[in-house]
Amino acid sequence: MPDAPMPDTAMSRSFASRDALAGYLKQEFPHAQGELSQTSGGAIAARHLLEQFSAGNYAASRNFLRGEVSRLSPYLRHGVLTLSEVRRFLAKKYQGLDRLLKFIQELAWRDYWQRIYAEAPGYIWNDVEPLKTGKQSGDYKGTLPPAVEDATTGLACMDAFVTELNTTGYLHNHARMWFAAYLVHWCGVSWKTGARFFLSHLLDGDPASNNLSWQWIASTFSSKPYIFNRENLEHYSGGIYCQDCPSKNKCPFDRSYEELTERLFPLV
Amino acid sequence: MHDDCLRAGPALPAVYVFDTAKLERERWSLKRIGFIYECLLELEVEIRKGDPVIQVADFARTHGAGRIVTSETPDPLLQSQQQVLSRSFAMQIELPEPFVELKGRVDLKRFSRYWQKAQGPAMRG
Repeated sequence: MPDAPMPDTAMSRSFASRDALAGYLKQEFPHAQGELSQTSGGAIAARHLLEQFSAGNYAASRNFLRGEVSRLSPYLRHGVLTLSEVRRFLAKKYQGLDRLLKFIQELAWRDYWQRIYAEAPGYIWNDVEPLKTGKQSGDYKGTLPPAVEDATTGLACMDAFVTELNTTGYLHNHARMWFAAYLVHWCGVSWKTGARFFLSHLLDGDPASNNLSWQWIASTFSSKPYIFNRENLEHYSGGIYCQDCPSKNKCPFDRSYEELTERLFPLV
Repeated sequence: MHDDCLRAGPALPAVYVFDTAKLERERWSLKRIGFIYECLLELEVEIRKGDPVIQVADFARTHGAGRIVTSETPDPLLQSQQQVLSRSFAMQIELPEPFVELKGRVDLKRFSRYWQKAQGPAMRG
């Protein structure tokens, strides 16, 4: 460690507006791409979201893109709120946790990922288990297809997910699963490449939650690869993408699970 | 402070350092940095950027501190930085409030095995 005192490098704490903050950060972090998210950081914003969250509706609606989800993950990721604080708040609001099993389980997932990170940090960037796709890790591409990164695949759903991720730094969990499955199983891209892409954008980007979830999709941390089909995506998205999708008559997801499994994993 | 710990702490001089090399290497977008920055603006904390070890050491010396308080982390990079700082400063590593306290070995091979053990305490709160 150098002994010489460093010059005072305190950064600014005073901004006339959010635009001014954005301008300052662009100057100070010239490599950082894009703009600020509409989601504001801080305990005030976190508290507001927590108070607005109807946890009682979570279990029944959470898989729908318009379902009742908390969107607390960026604040939990950065310790603005703790898992225990959220649980205490909800236990008081709902006079107990009996109705909230599914949401408490969702909080537990974060605890679970963090425990793995602490116990086996090497798992974060390495396959936990062998693939169950009939392929080897080296068979997957190490770069994002430009059309995926530029949101020009012609698949309205996937292009919308990338645009939303770029703009907001957030994606609903189901959208994350669909996109990850598309990238790994349809495009043949390594889960690590997808994980890096998400980590550069997600406000809640956490190496453990993110990477182990990608491995769950890829099948290196699950008993089989996760896939979806058009019927599933159309149902849980409310059909908002398929209606005007330029690929609606040649949708690569428009098959039964049996057909997709045979097509995507012919060697299994 | 580190990036799992953006919350009010005890009344000690506090610093947060943006690790510019890590952010560049991992291609952090502006919105990720901005979100953290806004969290920091609500806290009594000095914000810096650069090499975390150099900046934290400089901050501690500026305040005449012989002890650094930080949080336990599973992140190997942050652990190595804490390790380097511990050669020059007394380190106080705070443990986060546990979500569930589980005794004995916890099987983490699948979530279902963890949940079998964690469900009771998690639902009791």
